[in-house]
Amino acid sequence: MKEQQRHSKRFLTWSLIAVLALCALVFSFLIFFMTQKSTDTISQVGGIYMNGMSEKISQHFKTTIELRLSQVEALVETIPPGSADPATLREELTYSAQARGFESLAFYSKDGRLDMIYGEESAITAPGPFLDSLNRGEQKVAVGLSSRGEKVILLGVSTDYTLPGDFECTALVGTLTADYIAETLSLYSDESLVYSHIIRRDGSFVIRSGDAFRDNYFDRILSLFEGENDADGQRYTEELRDAMNEERDYSTVLQFGNERRHLYCTQLAYSEWYLVTVLPYGELDVAVNDLSSTWIAMALAGFTVIFLAMLLVFAAYSRLLNQQMEELETARQEAIHANRAKSEFLSNMSHDIRTPMNAIVGMTAIATANIGNTQQVQNCLKKITLSSRHLLGLINDVLDMSKIESGKLTLNTDQISLREVMDSIVSIVQPQVRAKHQHFDVFIHDISTENVCCDSVRLNQVLINILGNAIKFTPDGGAIQVCLYEEPSQLGENYVRTHIIIKDNGIGMTPDFQAKIFESFVREDSARVRRTEGSGLGMAITKYIVDAMGGAITLKSALGEGSEFHVTLDLERASVLEEDMMLPEWNLLVVDDDQQLCESAAASLKSIGIRADCALDAESAIEMITQRRERRDNYHVILLDWKLPGMDGITAAKEIRRRFGSDTPILLISAYDWSEIEAEAKEAGISGFISKPLFKSTLFYGLKPLIETQVPAKEQAPEAPSSLCGRKILLAEDNDLNWEIAQELLSELGLELEWAENGEICVDKFLASPVGFYDAILMDLRMPVMTGYEATAAIRSLDRPDANIPIIAMTADAFSEDIQRCLDCGMNAHVAKPIDVREISRLLEKFIRLS
Amino acid sequence: MTLQECYAAMGGDYNDAIGRLRSERLVQKFVLKFAEDGSYSLLQSSLADSNYDEAFRAAHTIKGVCQNLSLTRLADSSSALCESLRGGTPPASGLAEQVSADYQETVSAIQAFREGISG
Repeated sequence: MKEQQRHSKRFLTWSLIAVLALCALVFSFLIFFMTQKSTDTISQVGGIYMNGMSEKISQHFKTTIELRLSQVEALVETIPPGSADPATLREELTYSAQARGFESLAFYSKDGRLDMIYGEESAITAPGPFLDSLNRGEQKVAVGLSSRGEKVILLGVSTDYTLPGDFECTALVGTLTADYIAETLSLYSDESLVYSHIIRRDGSFVIRSGDAFRDNYFDRILSLFEGENDADGQRYTEELRDAMNEERDYSTVLQFGNERRHLYCTQLAYSEWYLVTVLPYGELDVAVNDLSSTWIAMALAGFTVIFLAMLLVFAAYSRLLNQQMEELETARQEAIHANRAKSEFLSNMSHDIRTPMNAIVGMTAIATANIGNTQQVQNCLKKITLSSRHLLGLINDVLDMSKIESGKLTLNTDQISLREVMDSIVSIVQPQVRAKHQHFDVFIHDISTENVCCDSVRLNQVLINILGNAIKFTPDGGAIQVCLYEEPSQLGENYVRTHIIIKDNGIGMTPDFQAKIFESFVREDSARVRRTEGSGLGMAITKYIVDAMGGAITLKSALGEGSEFHVTLDLERASVLEEDMMLPEWNLLVVDDDQQLCESAAASLKSIGIRADCALDAESAIEMITQRRERRDNYHVILLDWKLPGMDGITAAKEIRRRFGSDTPILLISAYDWSEIEAEAKEAGISGFISKPLFKSTLFYGLKPLIETQVPAKEQAPEAPSSLCGRKILLAEDNDLNWEIAQELLSELGLELEWAENGEICVDKFLASPVGFYDAILMDLRMPVMTGYEATAAIRSLDRPDANIPIIAMTADAFSEDIQRCLDCGMNAHVAKPIDVREISRLLEKFIRLS
Repeated sequence: MTLQECYAAMGGDYNDAIGRLRSERLVQKFVLKFAEDGSYSLLQSSLADSNYDEAFRAAHTIKGVCQNLSLTRLADSSSALCESLRGGTPPASGLAEQVSADYQETVSAIQAFREGISG
C-alpha cells in the first residue's frame, strides 16, 4: 500500500519535472527562433531599404548629372560652333555658364588638353576613359582636382568648336565642386543613419563621407576587419570587386565585432563610378535587442505562470490522491474486517448448526433403536424438538440477516395493542424464566395509549431477542425487569413516545463488546460465554428493526452487574377509538410490593372509574381491609400480587378469607403462568387471576366479569334464596320507620316478620312462642327499655331448646368493639345499617341452615 | 319537585336509596314518613333535659333511619352527634346545632316535595 503510494508520488514528481522541462525547451526555442527571425527580418528590411535608398540616390545622381550635362549641351546649342568669333564665343560662353553656376568652363582637345574659358584649370584624375568617351561623341562625367586642391566634377559634352591653333576641340567641359554633388545627393546628411560614398572600380573614392579616412574603400573595409577577421574583410572586398566588374548591384551585411552594417553598391550613370551606401545597424540592433529582451521577459513570465499553475494542479492532485488512498485503505480495512467477521461467523455457525443437527440425528437413531420403549422414545422426541427449535431459530436469524443485508426486510405496520404484545412476550418467556428460577417483573406506567401502529411481529422479535439474551446471560435466581412507559412524542399529537427498558442483573458485557454488539456476525466469544450459543445476529437484527421503525436503542452494561437495553420508539396512535372503559364506582385494594407499579395500577383504575387504594404488603393490606369493614365501607375487589415480601399472595388470600369471609372477590396478579398454582389458589379462596402487566384494558377486562356476578346478584337476590321463603323472623326495632323499611324489604324475600318494639317485648314474644316458631331474630342494639345486648343475653339464658336461635345484630354502629360485644353477648353475626338485604339473606340462610 | 330533586335538596343519595329499596314508590313512602318520625323531637327534649343517654339513643335512631334512606348529610351529622353523646357525655358544641339545621332542611325539602305531589 505504502509502496504503491510512493510509486504514484514518484510518478507524479517525474511527470511534473518532464512537463516543466518540455515547457522550458519550447520557450527557449521560441525565444531563440524569434530573436533570429527578427534579426533576419531587420536585415531583409535593411536590404530593401538600402536598395530603395541607393536607387533613389543613383537616380538623383543621374538626374543631377543629366541636368548639368544638358546645361552644358544647351551652351553648345545656344552658341553653336562657328556662330561667333573666338573672342565673342568665349565671352558668351562664360556669361551663359556662370549664369548656370559652373565653377569653370573649358574646351577639351582630342589629345586631352584643357583650354580654360574661365575659372581655374583642374587636373583630371583619370582622364583616359573620359577622353575616350568624349572622343566617341558621348557625354561623360569625370573627377579632378582643382589647382586649389579641391575635388571637382567635370561634365563633358562632345562638340567641335573650331579654335585657333592646333587645338582640336572635341568637347566642352564644365566643372562643379564635388561638394555640390555631395550636397545635392545628401550623401552625408546628419539626420539620416545612412551615408554613401562614390567610389571607382578600383576602390578609390570619388566622393566620400566625412568619417571615411582611407583613400580606398577596399582598404577601409579591410581595416574594419583588421585583427579580428582578416579573411572576412578579404571576402567582402572580393565580392564587392567582382560585383563591380560584373556591373551588378551588391548587397551584404558586414559583421565585425559587435557591429553590423548593411552595404549596398550600385553603378552610377554617365561614369565609371559606384555608389556605396552604408547603413550601420547599431540603433536598429538596439531596438531589436529591446524587442528580444521584451520577448524573453514575456516568455519567462509566461513560463513562470505555467510553472506555478502546474505546481498548483499537481499539488492539489497529489493531495486528492493521498485522500483517496486513505479512503481506499479504510474501505479495505473495513472489507477485511467484515470478511473476517463473516468467516468467523460461518465457522461458528457451522459448528452451531452441527450441534443441534447431531443431536437430532443421534436422538433419531436412539429412538429407532428403542422403538418399543415408549418412555425412551418420548424422551428422544423431546430432545429432538428442542434441538430442531434451536436450529430453526438459527436459520431464521440467518435468513433475517440476509434479508436485511439485501435490503428486503420491510415492516408491516398495523394497529396493535401494546397490552397484547406484552402479554404474548410474557407468555413466551415465562417457561424459560421459570426454568431458571429468575425473578421476572413487568412494570408499566403512564400508558396513555395502548393501541398504536407498529409491526407487531418485528416488535415481538426485538423484545424477545433482548429478553432472550437477558434470560440467557442471567444466572439462575437472577432478576429481569421489563419497564414500559409512554411520554409525549416530538413528532406531534398523533404520536406517542414509547420507552421499553429491559434490565437484568446478569453477567454484563465488556466495553469492547458493547461497542460492537449491534454489528452483524458478532458474538462475545470468551470462556465465560462459550457454552451459550446463538447466531450472534440477534442484536444486529434488533438494531436494524428498531432503526427501520425510526427508533433508537441504547445499552448500558457493566461486567458482572448486568445490562440494560433501552428501546425508544415514536409510535403513531392507532385511529381506533378506544372502547369506553368504565366500571362501577367500586372501592378496590391493590396489594403489590412495588410502589410504582401499585400507584400506576391505581391511576389506571381511577381512569376506569374505580377508587383504588394501595398496600405494599399483605399485613398492611389486611389492616386496611379491617378498617374498611369497621367503617362498613368494604372493598368490592382486592387485587393481590402473588409474590409479596413476608406473607405471599396465596397465604394472604387465605388469611383474608379466614378473617373476613368470602364475600369480596380476590384476584391474584401474576406475571407468571398460573396454571400450576391455580388449584392451590382456588383452594385459598382466590376468585380469579389477572395477568401482569396491568394495562388499563387488562384491568378493565379482568374486572368486568365481576360486574355480572356482583350487580345482577344484588337485583336477583329477592327471588334467588327460596330457602328463606316462609321463614318466621322476629325483628326487634324501636323505630317504626326502620321497622317498616325492614319489613318492606325482607318480606320480599318471602320472610314472615314479627315486630318487637324493644328488647323486652322481643324477649316476651320469644317466650310466648312455641318452640321453633321463630327461625331467627334480627336485633337492633339501641332500644329503649331493654337493649339488644340485654335481650340477647336473656334469650340465650332461657331454658328452651331453641334458646340458641340465630340472632343477628343490626346496627348503625360499625366499630369493632361493638361487633365484638355482639359476639360476646351470644349473637351469631352482625350486619351494619343501612339494611343490606343481600347480606342479611346470606347470613340468615347460613345460620338457619346450621340450626 | 321530583323525588330526585328532593334528595338533592336533602343532601341525600337518591341512587343509593333506589339501590336499596328498589322502587321509587317505597323510597317516596318512607321519605314522607320520615318527616313524621318522633326521633328528632325525642332528641331535642332529651338534650333539653340533659338526658344524654336518651339523646344518644335518639341520635342513633336518626342515624339508622337516615342510613336506610340514604339521607347522607343528616346521617353524617347525626352520626357525629351520636358519637359525641356515646357514654352519656354532653355533646361537643355545634354538633346538635348542625343536626338541627340539617334536619330542618331535610324536613322542609320533604314538605315541599309533599306539596308538589299533592298539589
